[in-house]
Amino acid sequence: MSIATTSGRQGGALERGGGGGGGGTLADVVETVLDKGVVIDAQVSVAVVGIQLLEINARIVIASVDTYLRFAETVDRLSIVPKGTKGLPDLAGDAAGAATKGKAISGLGKAAQEISGAVADSLSDRGSDRGRDRPRRRRDEER
Amino acid sequence: MTDEQAQPAGEAGLFIYGIVPSDVEPTPDAEGVGNPPGEVTVVRHGDLAALVSEVGLEEPMGRPADLTAYQTLLDGTAAVAPVLPVRFGTVVTGPDAVQDLLEAHHDRFAAALDEFEDRLQYTVHGRFDEEEMISDFLAENPSAAALADHVRGRPEAESREQRIRLGEMISQGVELRREAENRALIDLLTPYAVAHAPRPPSSELDAMNVAFLVAADDEEEFVRVLEEFAEQRRDLIRMRLLGPLAPYDFVSAHQLVE
Repeated sequence: MSIATTSGRQGGALERGGGGGGGGTLADVVETVLDKGVVIDAQVSVAVVGIQLLEINARIVIASVDTYLRFAETVDRLSIVPKGTKGLPDLAGDAAGAATKGKAISGLGKAAQEISGAVADSLSDRGSDRGRDRPRRRRDEER
Repeated sequence: MTDEQAQPAGEAGLFIYGIVPSDVEPTPDAEGVGNPPGEVTVVRHGDLAALVSEVGLEEPMGRPADLTAYQTLLDGTAAVAPVLPVRFGTVVTGPDAVQDLLEAHHDRFAAALDEFEDRLQYTVHGRFDEEEMISDFLAENPSAAALADHVRGRPEAESREQRIRLGEMISQGVELRREAENRALIDLLTPYAVAHAPRPPSSELDAMNVAFLVAADDEEEFVRVLEEFAEQRRDLIRMRLLGPLAPYDFVSAHQLVE
């Protein structure tokens, strides 16, 4: 069920982070600790003191029209198939029947005269993690 | 504004980080929440103790540095001893209140600490590469691909309806894929984990987000198997492993409420 694209690159596909607060982003910290832990209710113990907590917004993910439009915009950027080509549905039909997704994609890539830089990138020398906004950290331990 | 740090004792409280066995000793460099960071101490009661630091009650809590200090202390503790995280922002009147708390809930705390002995949390988070994910999806869905063809290159103003429809199809595709990936991940790692807890997605492109409680003896194998899994998906999913962490996701909120 997997896409066995061993790209021959060194370096694991699994990024390590967090742990001891080191190597994680603030988003990681918020996501990890927010609304977790034992709740000591004021009703259980009268000694609980209400303090002012700064508002920390956990992001609630709801797919919205904005998301939909953004996905559609991404489709614009993909331009897998040159405009006006009618072959995609047929081709995709074939591809869907193929054994793995990896194959399906490379099949498409060959069929399309021109494959966009972005997709070509991800097919051939993947792993550069282009355009990611988060810093990569690889420290396993820091304390 | 007055200086909160200099308030008399009546204006201060004890911020509780977590419950630990009473033989746990904070290291001298342990820093608590607050500005400047409070000194972390322990309040002991029998075989249990709580990690605490003094905070001014006027000082709002929850700055990034506070959250980081909280997590750093708990994760650092979890690496050497079992710890039961207490929800961020829990403040009590003083040491007596902490001892009352430890006494009142002794059995439950002690049982939970037993359960966390030599076990740590790892959170596995994956995020789809947007373009890769959408390419995959279009390749497998002729009707979406046809719609994509129709929409591509046309200004949003004249293709808005179709764009929304296409985006919705993609969004559903992502959701289905996310369910499948989460399931695959859990199935794969179940033999190496004591427990798992699904976490809600943190973005529209989340591929997986699951916390695992892992026994110290299984850590190596857990990570090895996960690395393989990540390698198989490296084109499609950017995978990250957070941990070892304190068992945040395995302390249920109802643990204290009768």
